[in-house]
Amino acid sequence: METVIDVSGVDKMFKRKVHALRGVDLQVGAGEVFGLLGPNGAGKSTLVKVLLTVIKPTKCDGTLLGHRIGNKSALREVGYLPEHHNFPKYLTSRQVLRYFGAMCGVERKERNRRAEELLEVVNMSNWATHKLGTYSKGMRQRIGIAQALMNNPKLVILDEPTDGVDPIGRRDIREILTRLKDEGRTVFLNSHLLSELEMVCDRVAIMVHGLMRQQGTIEELTKGQSGFVLKSHTPIEQVMIDSVTQAMKGVECSWETGSNTIRLSTSNTDSVQPAIDTLRSKGVVLDSFGFQRPSLEELFIQAVNEDEGGATPGATKSGKRGQA
Amino acid sequence: MNIKVMQTKAIFIDAYRELNAKKLFWLTMGLNLLAVLIYASLGINERGFSVLFWTFDGEFNTNLMTKTTFYKLEFLLWGVPIWLSWCATILALISTAGIIPDLVSGGTIEPVLSKPIGRIRLFLTKYLTGLFFVGAQILVFSIGCFLVLRIRAGVTEFGLFLAIPIVLAFFSYLFAVCSLVGLVTKSTITALLLTILFWVFVFILNVGENVMLTNRETAAVRLIDAPGKIESQERFATKRIEQLREEGKAIPGQDGVPLPDGAADSLEAINPTLQLARSKMVDAERAFETWSTWESRVYAIKLIMPKTSETLSLLSRNLINEDELGGLLDMMNGINEENDPNAPDRRVAERVQEVMDKRSIGWILGTSFGFEFVVLGLATLIFVRRDF
Repeated sequence: METVIDVSGVDKMFKRKVHALRGVDLQVGAGEVFGLLGPNGAGKSTLVKVLLTVIKPTKCDGTLLGHRIGNKSALREVGYLPEHHNFPKYLTSRQVLRYFGAMCGVERKERNRRAEELLEVVNMSNWATHKLGTYSKGMRQRIGIAQALMNNPKLVILDEPTDGVDPIGRRDIREILTRLKDEGRTVFLNSHLLSELEMVCDRVAIMVHGLMRQQGTIEELTKGQSGFVLKSHTPIEQVMIDSVTQAMKGVECSWETGSNTIRLSTSNTDSVQPAIDTLRSKGVVLDSFGFQRPSLEELFIQAVNEDEGGATPGATKSGKRGQA
Repeated sequence: MNIKVMQTKAIFIDAYRELNAKKLFWLTMGLNLLAVLIYASLGINERGFSVLFWTFDGEFNTNLMTKTTFYKLEFLLWGVPIWLSWCATILALISTAGIIPDLVSGGTIEPVLSKPIGRIRLFLTKYLTGLFFVGAQILVFSIGCFLVLRIRAGVTEFGLFLAIPIVLAFFSYLFAVCSLVGLVTKSTITALLLTILFWVFVFILNVGENVMLTNRETAAVRLIDAPGKIESQERFATKRIEQLREEGKAIPGQDGVPLPDGAADSLEAINPTLQLARSKMVDAERAFETWSTWESRVYAIKLIMPKTSETLSLLSRNLINEDELGGLLDMMNGINEENDPNAPDRRVAERVQEVMDKRSIGWILGTSFGFEFVVLGLATLIFVRRDF
């Protein structure tokens, strides 16, 4: 698979005090919707800013769209929505889109056409001639997303795109993301809204304290933690567990003494049937049966808690924490 | 279209919209036009001085100077040093002081820096937008004054347009400081206040140097005159001693006791003014040394600073000559034809002017642009290296 973002050992130390990024490795493939998660101060926005030359890294090897990180040419094909953006309030949304289109080198005719098209996409056509100063936060966010798409980018980086957006707006943004994916663009998302990410992302990475803790598809990250769960009406005895284990042949079976729940670590429905048959033959009445995997939120909290120092937000001060 | 041209055009259009939104740009433009109207409303004729349709009879009439000289002088004495240098510059600073702080404010800079534009080009283009719009204001004022001169005095004086590069150069020294402070503090108010403070400092430095130069040259003139005065007093005393000798009288000492023949202090004793003249010469020597030392110290500081006053005076050097002014400048300086042309005040003024005139255009602009280059270079370096 073609790699759009391929960086390794990204390090950023602010004023020799705050160690924001500590040797981050990141690979994002073309056409993926990639989600970057992490608590406040984990270094997510810093990493994005390093990729976009807004922040100079202390150390960084790698490429963005095949260009060395820091090379401005790569940015012609990148769209970016910053987290706390402040687009000129004296401009109308149409002017904002045209201005950023010109800054990306989009020709005038195409710029004007694209601005109208994107205003339509983000449902802001009726507000095209109003100044941004009169917009709500959600409306500004929509315009922010539209400006990120003005140059028809191969890679779209959105930092907290649903920040301040109401549920209807969030749904609209999800639709835009799906559309971008269908068009074959790569989308890089930074977000706190884990449920949102779970719905749209192909792959996710979890960052804590400037370190990349986990990276992969949701299936890969939950591997070993997902499986079928059987719940009986009454507590299950050890004898029954032994019978189930024997029947399952190689599938790991976990159960806590006195509990009425058995967890089978397999995603294959067929391979679970012998366990059901065994339990039913022993007279066990089953209340429920279904596939379960940890949510992104559970994975996230787990990753944060696993990190030394727990979920304490904020970047690390140099010398107070060990290097990765 | 080339991407660099496209981006530059977009930045300029954005800067215009920003200034337009602030209203100050149009306010300043309106005030410029008002200043032109005031300029046009003043006039001179055979009877005297006129304002709109009213004439105030008096000596200030076309016998003293031509209409052309009047309007040029009005432009040089009021248009440039008062309107363009102070009023319009303050308004221009207020309108443009926010350009750099607004650029680097949180949330604004990130989307711009993430576009394919180099930081040096971005910063310098933003800086140039400030100069461009101030240049537009000066252009409007200059065109207005040019038309007034054409219509009211019947003269076509393209030299007036020299005001555009000269006043723009003067403004650019201040705008470089404003941009640096704005970049470092990210505050428009701080940038504006510190720039005005810097401007006042440069002004005081200029005035200070002028005072020291005048005092030095006053002492120099006294030093030049002193030997002649002493010699004259000595001649007078020698003559008096000879007179007393011929009359067979003794030379009276200062305490009334007659001095022996050939006493060393006989000249001073017979003519106390000689002693005073000699002590004045010693004072003048001391004053010359003191003022020279201080003047050279202030000059050393001034050397690295922008030459605001001298830059503006370049316009008068080129726009008007002494023949055109005739005795007008002397009259304005309180020196009339009845005065002795060798009067000390006049000689001091001439010597000071001579020192000023020795400062070439290359020196004035070279050192000033050198300052601007360093300040702007520092600001660009900070902008390029900063994490946003």
